[in-house]
Amino acid sequence: MKVLVAVKRVIDYNVKIRVKADKTGVETANVKMSMNPFDEIAVEEAIRMKEKGKATEVIAFSAGPAQCQETIRTALAMGADRGVHVLSDAELQPLAVAKLMKAVVDKEQPGLVIVGKQAIDDDSNQTGQMLAALLGWSQGTFANKLEIGEGVAVKREVDGGLENVMLKLPAVITTDLRLNEPRYASLPNIMKAKKKPIEQLTSEALGVDVAPRLKTLKVEEPPTRKAGIKVKTVAELVEKLKNEAGVI
Amino acid sequence: MDFEPSSEQQMLIDMVRRFVRTEIIPLEAKLDPDASELAPEDYARLVQKTKAMGLYGIDIPVEFGGPDIDIVTRTLLAIEMSQHRAGLYVPCYGAFGGAGLAQIFEANDDQKERYLYPTLRGEKKPFFGLTEPSGGSDPARAIKTRAERKEQGWVLNGSKIFISGADRAQYGIVFARTDAAKGRGGITCFIVDSDTPGFHVRRVVHTLRSSSYATELEFKDCWVSDAQVLGTVNGGFAVANDRLTRQRIPYAAACIGVAIAAHEMAVEWSKLRETFGTRLSDRQAIQWMLVDNEIDIRTARYFTLEAAERARRGIPFRTEAALCKLIASESGGRVVDRSMQIHGGMGMTKDLPLERWYREMRIRRIGEGPSEVQRMLVAREILGASVR
Ligand SMILES: Cc1cc2nc3c(=O)[nH]c(=O)nc-3n(C[C@H](O)[C@H](O)[C@H](O)COP(=O)(O)OP(=O)(O)OC[C@H]3O[C@@H](n4cnc5c(N)ncnc54)[C@H](O)[C@@H]3O)c2cc1C
Ligand SMILES: Cc1cc2nc3c(=O)[nH]c(=O)nc-3n(C[C@H](O)[C@H](O)[C@H](O)COP(=O)(O)OP(=O)(O)OC[C@H]3O[C@@H](n4cnc5c(N)ncnc54)[C@H](O)[C@@H]3O)c2cc1C
Repeated sequence: MKVLVAVKRVIDYNVKIRVKADKTGVETANVKMSMNPFDEIAVEEAIRMKEKGKATEVIAFSAGPAQCQETIRTALAMGADRGVHVLSDAELQPLAVAKLMKAVVDKEQPGLVIVGKQAIDDDSNQTGQMLAALLGWSQGTFANKLEIGEGVAVKREVDGGLENVMLKLPAVITTDLRLNEPRYASLPNIMKAKKKPIEQLTSEALGVDVAPRLKTLKVEEPPTRKAGIKVKTVAELVEKLKNEAGVI
Repeated sequence: MDFEPSSEQQMLIDMVRRFVRTEIIPLEAKLDPDASELAPEDYARLVQKTKAMGLYGIDIPVEFGGPDIDIVTRTLLAIEMSQHRAGLYVPCYGAFGGAGLAQIFEANDDQKERYLYPTLRGEKKPFFGLTEPSGGSDPARAIKTRAERKEQGWVLNGSKIFISGADRAQYGIVFARTDAAKGRGGITCFIVDSDTPGFHVRRVVHTLRSSSYATELEFKDCWVSDAQVLGTVNGGFAVANDRLTRQRIPYAAACIGVAIAAHEMAVEWSKLRETFGTRLSDRQAIQWMLVDNEIDIRTARYFTLEAAERARRGIPFRTEAALCKLIASESGGRVVDRSMQIHGGMGMTKDLPLERWYREMRIRRIGEGPSEVQRMLVAREILGASVR
């Protein structure tokens, strides 16, 4: 079974984000970029499946500008086998990415697709679900644990706790934070990654319309939090929660 | 010349940077500000990770099983590995493995079995015994410790000072005079086991590197066999010359890493701190300090990468190695000093790593050949061999 994983190039989680002066978005020039952390979890899970003999090949997919190749290389250095890059300088929204991925799925015929539950830049939490709908496949979102057998058993992180679902294959999985701890790349794999192939495609060649459906009006910094206060006693705390905050 | 890291180098840099930020710094927060070691279980866990990364034994030459990376890549990683409180002298608390002294790699097969391999396996620790009370800058003239021929071996008499970690080492390399008439060509390098009769650690010497002290050694009729001679008799200074010159490059890189970390702290702090109604970063006085930091860091980085690139290509790099060691240690001190100043009283506290960097960085202008000696080397290069 082939496994397709999505790896999005996002602003590195260590970078302190700055809003552009004209409020059209956040500053990305000269900012360190790396793989979306939820996608690292997806790559790790796919590699583990391959190590356990449950997957035959791991393909890393990324859509976006030329530098996305670096993100794919990182996945290859972790242990993925090859990459597919859809080159596009346009703004890609979740629906566009889901359609591009569908086109690649049609071509590659993987048995499983694993994507991050969301990307840390736009926090959309939509691509996996849209892809499952476009493909008509089952979906297991917010995965906390996966077990591949006849189908795939997914433990999902839901508000009340954990939910167990059994999916038929092929399926789309979205990863949550606790699914695994992604490995570091390794020197031998980084060297091997150099020789692993990355196929380059375009949205035009795949026949996908990637035009944005949503328009961003304005991006603003979150308001700075007001300083808190210290209370002296539990009684005072209870009193304030009751009378000032009105929460109890 | 292209100083842009290749995409492979960048991946290694990212990997090590992440290792420092996610594995080392959180553990360090729980340690004593002067600690030089991790708890054994943490150390073991981290070594497993660096082994999985294929970077364990980072200073072991590839022919001895170390990772296959060139000296430019090694230098780029050294800049990352030192970016934490203990990073100047113990990058990542040794999780990337120890190295063994340069000279031991030149040992004969028997000595390699007895000393090099156990050291690379982490079973034995060495000390390096060169400096004497009579002086360390010019050891060829200053060394007074004598070794006299006796019964297929040599009897050592004399003393050494500022020898790091000799009280915790199983063996060491000791330079002694075997021919009084020959000056530089009369020094021999010996391997001395710490339990050899006549060898004593006389006292601990406290320095401003309070995290790890130096020692004073005494040799009193200390007999070692011919099998302990490293290299040839009277050839002590010829052993591992090239490796020793190379060592100055990652040594410089560690200074740069600390300077970068201090500078980043100063930049962040200046944007948060307000005095006289506005942020420190709005003041030109502070901005210029930050710009000077930037200049110092970039200069040291270019000089150090140039030395590394020459070493990688196999062209002469002695002068460049001297320059980068000199510049990185001196400018590193200035950067840490300015960054402390910007932090005000906070910069003086042990809550922040700055004060440890400040103390330890000061030693970098003395260790591995003091600044003046590096300048002498460069002067000789500029003016020719006539300058002594
Ligand atoms: C913390 C610490 C750890 C150390 N660990 C070790 C170790 O493990 N093993 C070891 O062998 N040594 C070790 N040393 C010793 C170190 O290598 C020496 O201190 C160093 O080589 C300088 O020698 P010195 O102290 O005798 O100074 P000196 O040689 O007496 O020099 C004094 C000063 O004069 C300057 N100077 C010397 N000659 C000239 C000249 N011709 N022109 C202008 N200026 C000159 C020097 O640069 C220096 O600033 C350590 C030192 C310290 C502080
Ligand atoms: C060991 C020690 C003992 C002390 N003991 C006492 C004590 O007994 N009692 C007491 O009250 N205090 C004490 N202090 C505090 C000391 O007086 C303050 O640290 C000092 O006044 C600086 O204030 P700060 O640390 O808040 O730095 P900040 O005021 O935050 O200044 C940070 C840096 O910015 C610079 N700066 C500030 N404003 C400007 C500007 N407009 N333009 C350019 N640069 C600027 C400052 O010169 C400094 O370098 C002590 C501090 C130390 C380290």
